[in-house]
Amino acid sequence: MPQVAPQVGIVLVSHSSRLAEGVAELAGQVSGGTVTIVAAGGTDGSGLGTSAAKVSAALERADSGAGVLVLPDLGSAVLTVRALLAELPEAAVTIADAPFVEGAVAATVTAAAGADLRAVAKAAEEAWHARKL
Amino acid sequence: MPASSESITLTGDLHARPAGAVAVAAGRFASAVSVTTGTKSADAKSVLGVMGLGATTGQRVTVTADGPDAEEAVAALIAILGEATRVGG
Repeated sequence: MPQVAPQVGIVLVSHSSRLAEGVAELAGQVSGGTVTIVAAGGTDGSGLGTSAAKVSAALERADSGAGVLVLPDLGSAVLTVRALLAELPEAAVTIADAPFVEGAVAATVTAAAGADLRAVAKAAEEAWHARKL
Repeated sequence: MPASSESITLTGDLHARPAGAVAVAAGRFASAVSVTTGTKSADAKSVLGVMGLGATTGQRVTVTADGPDAEEAVAALIAILGEATRVGG
């Protein structure tokens, strides 16, 4: 296999596993499918909510050496991610303060182009300003 | 700094997937790259910006790049716009 520089990985944390998986599918298609996007949605029992264990496993799977950008959807997803990251001060993980769908698409496309974690996070946060019409 | 520019008429709509292909390719160049159609212009490295152009079949789109690899960037993006919008998505 050819040597490829590691890309930033993306973790999508949603209350709903289907929402996280759907956004992961969309972002993967738009970006050409080269970036590792891991969906961490729902509780351990597959209900609506978030799971620190699922997020923790997703962070590990998404990291290929260039760091990970995490996008939470709402409320407790943000709290779950922040609590987890407080326990991992050394991890190359950034939380994006970004709209869930647009931020995920923008971040993944930027990661696919080979940008670093800081630029990928910036792309996600700039999604607040993108107009649809 | 060298600047380069070229135009193409779209043979399909600039939907999410072709916009993604444009932004991924543009992001690999050091040059600043923009896509312009009509009165709207977007940073070619921003997928949401490119989608926001709402460019459709038959529209004339101009790619402009400014920087050390401007010519290569314009050639790559014109090729993608010709190919990706034909496939659709």
